[in-house]
Amino acid sequence: MKTTSSLGGSLLLILTLSGCGGDSIRPLHSLNSRLADSAETRRDPSLGQGWLASLSSRGGRERLELIDLRNGQPVPVPGLNRADAQPISLSVSGDGERLALVRQLGDSTELMLYRRSVGILQRLELNPAGVPRAVSLDGRGRQLAVQVSRNGRWEVDLIQLP
Amino acid sequence: MWPIRAVRGTALAAITCLNVSAALLALTGCTPRVERIPGGEVERSQQEPALSGNGRLLATVTERRGRPTVQLRDLRSGAVLPLRHLSRHQPHSSPSLSWNGRYLAVITQRGQRRLALIEDRLTGRAHPIRLPGDREPVRLSLSPDARTMALQVAVQGRWRVELIDLGAILEPDRSAGERFSGPLQPTP
Repeated sequence: MKTTSSLGGSLLLILTLSGCGGDSIRPLHSLNSRLADSAETRRDPSLGQGWLASLSSRGGRERLELIDLRNGQPVPVPGLNRADAQPISLSVSGDGERLALVRQLGDSTELMLYRRSVGILQRLELNPAGVPRAVSLDGRGRQLAVQVSRNGRWEVDLIQLP
Repeated sequence: MWPIRAVRGTALAAITCLNVSAALLALTGCTPRVERIPGGEVERSQQEPALSGNGRLLATVTERRGRPTVQLRDLRSGAVLPLRHLSRHQPHSSPSLSWNGRYLAVITQRGQRRLALIEDRLTGRAHPIRLPGDREPVRLSLSPDARTMALQVAVQGRWRVELIDLGAILEPDRSAGERFSGPLQPTP
């Protein structure tokens, strides 16, 4: 028993000294450098399979950007960003084809769906009325979960998409 | 625009398609429907939804004894699923699920520090993720196959997104029929 305690104590000391408690991870330095160099700030990441959607800021303007992680380059998303709209939350489907977005436009907070292959941005209106806040797409982009404020409380709606 | 018309008295609502161009209708088929997620026996506020890649599981952050706590629900049965490592270290935030929901990643609190934690629901193991330089994450996202995680951190007063490779610590959680894809290696 004493040997066991001694071994346990030694192991604990080694773990403490080595900073254990966190698994070994490998930062993707090349991609991280590109992400850092290509925007003044970047926030709200959403990963697909080989895709990163995030809100990037340059010149004080924040926009939704979709990056192909195979080469670290942004892909065109025509019609997705508006100069007079403030993006709030985003989510990308696994294949990078669909993007869900909550944005503030004037006095209105809108839930939007963008289809990259056709370049179409659609508004999804909530009824009963509510104010969307956070959004999540499933991997195929066929189901959407959205946090909605109704009557002073937060709810989650699930929306099946064609 | 897709207005959503709720059916009062039930959890289901239907979306009707109005003000949508014929071309768009042809593209979409326009048969979406909406379901409101119940909060359980006691109606709880639910925030920060995260769907699994296959759409079968939903993680949300709910108040439990006044503390924001992640909750995982099977959307087919409505059952709340047990989480071995996530009944403490609140507040929780920014949940994210892998394709089949094997892995649930969430930001937890350890003392005064925020720490990303991944629970492997298959093995019951917890994987705390410590970033170089002891940077603290404020948001995270797990790739569908759980090979990669994106974390939002503050560096010199600015938000940045950093990617880490989890291939050394997690088995992939792929969709059925998905081809193998190697680690991310950007071309020069």
